[in-house]
Amino acid sequence: MGIPIPNSKLGMWLFLGTEIMFFTAFIGSYIVLRLGSPGWPTDPEDTHINVLFGGVNTFVLIVSSYLVVVAHEAMAKKDFKRARTYLTGTLLLAVLFLGIKAAEYKGKIDHDILPGHIAETSTQAISKVDREFEAVVRQRFAVYIDEGVIETEQPDDIVTLSLDVTALGEGDVERPDSMTADEFAVFQESAKVDTDLYREWINLRQHVIANVSLSEPALAAGYLESRAQLSEGEAMPELTIDEVQEWLNGLRAEEHQLSALVNANIFDPHPIVFGNIFASCYFIMTGFHAIHVIVGMILFIVVLKQGSALDEKWTDFVENSGLYWHFVDLVWIFLFPMLYII
Amino acid sequence: MSDEHHDTHHVNYLTIFFVLCGCTALSVAFDLVDMPKAVTMVLVLAVACAKAMCVMMFFMHLKFEGNWKYVLLAPTTILAIGLPIALFPDIGSSYYINMAPQVGEWADEVAEYRDSRVEGEHTEGH
Repeated sequence: MGIPIPNSKLGMWLFLGTEIMFFTAFIGSYIVLRLGSPGWPTDPEDTHINVLFGGVNTFVLIVSSYLVVVAHEAMAKKDFKRARTYLTGTLLLAVLFLGIKAAEYKGKIDHDILPGHIAETSTQAISKVDREFEAVVRQRFAVYIDEGVIETEQPDDIVTLSLDVTALGEGDVERPDSMTADEFAVFQESAKVDTDLYREWINLRQHVIANVSLSEPALAAGYLESRAQLSEGEAMPELTIDEVQEWLNGLRAEEHQLSALVNANIFDPHPIVFGNIFASCYFIMTGFHAIHVIVGMILFIVVLKQGSALDEKWTDFVENSGLYWHFVDLVWIFLFPMLYII
Repeated sequence: MSDEHHDTHHVNYLTIFFVLCGCTALSVAFDLVDMPKAVTMVLVLAVACAKAMCVMMFFMHLKFEGNWKYVLLAPTTILAIGLPIALFPDIGSSYYINMAPQVGEWADEVAEYRDSRVEGEHTEGH
């Protein structure tokens, strides 16, 4: 009495049983989270999901699944050379799958579609631009301290530092002995750009704190003067995401001296409702699937390493690796419509 | 790794392969055709289930396996269906409706809540 299959195959099926539960936890959670989140992001403009990438990857996995099953068939017929050829094809398709997946991930990273990074409301989006700007300013100012051009005892005091950088750009800072005149001139030129960068950022920061439109003065004197002119019940116009976007576009313009810095460091303020939970679901499901693809590749490499020594003793191993690979395909069959189409 | 008996079944894998490719094309076509989202969802998931059945039945040979497959796969199937059903009444239907900052009305709700608390504290204080 017993189950009429090899122990290794039973072991593989038991393992696949646990794997089904593993992915069910992710996919089931995704379904309920999505159903419970009215306004879940589906527009490719928001999610940067490319249905073509997903479709091609589905095709790649289907072809690879077919190659695995015919490889096992060839093993059963003791045609080991043909089996090796099919498994090599499967391995190459797995590499192609991961390559396409990497290109997709790069697109997400380039647009900052990452869990915890996505602004979900206009206020969060404006705040994100403000924080990104501050990070660039601090990073640029830190260079002057690291290179010994500016000496300060309070490197975190950005206001004092800005005065030092402005003075450097205006030629009011003495050249350190360790630096040549040419090297120092480069820092002086850079300081002019960074002074401009700081002024743009601090102007935004003031408007963010006061929540006042960029068209209105936000600094103390002008702000108070404008407020004094308001009649009773009237309020200053609030800062909007559209005007921050317009202001950023101005800085991104080619002729603007800050365009390179802004383009490299500041993302477009694009609020995506439920963007963070979407990104979490996307990365956890596709990420764990990609890890499974890598494990499958390792199994095929183990077989292919046998080279011409591959014989019938490996038939069960190829069958079990094939079962595992079909399961990887099976998971993608559900991930593709759920993440790319629906 | 053994050289035990291996069942040979006459399955035309190439046909299954073309069926799977056709189903994938169908899924993409459903995405391109303009129809209500719910209909697209049902159609696309139905196609995914059909593809999954093809892979499991023929590529994974479950069609030719004994009854042990039911014993082994039943618990996982129950979990797969049970998890979303169990979570739906809470998370799936309303977890973000009342308290999420993403929902526009929430800001007003919180303001009202804070005001009521402040008023309550003042009342208690007096």
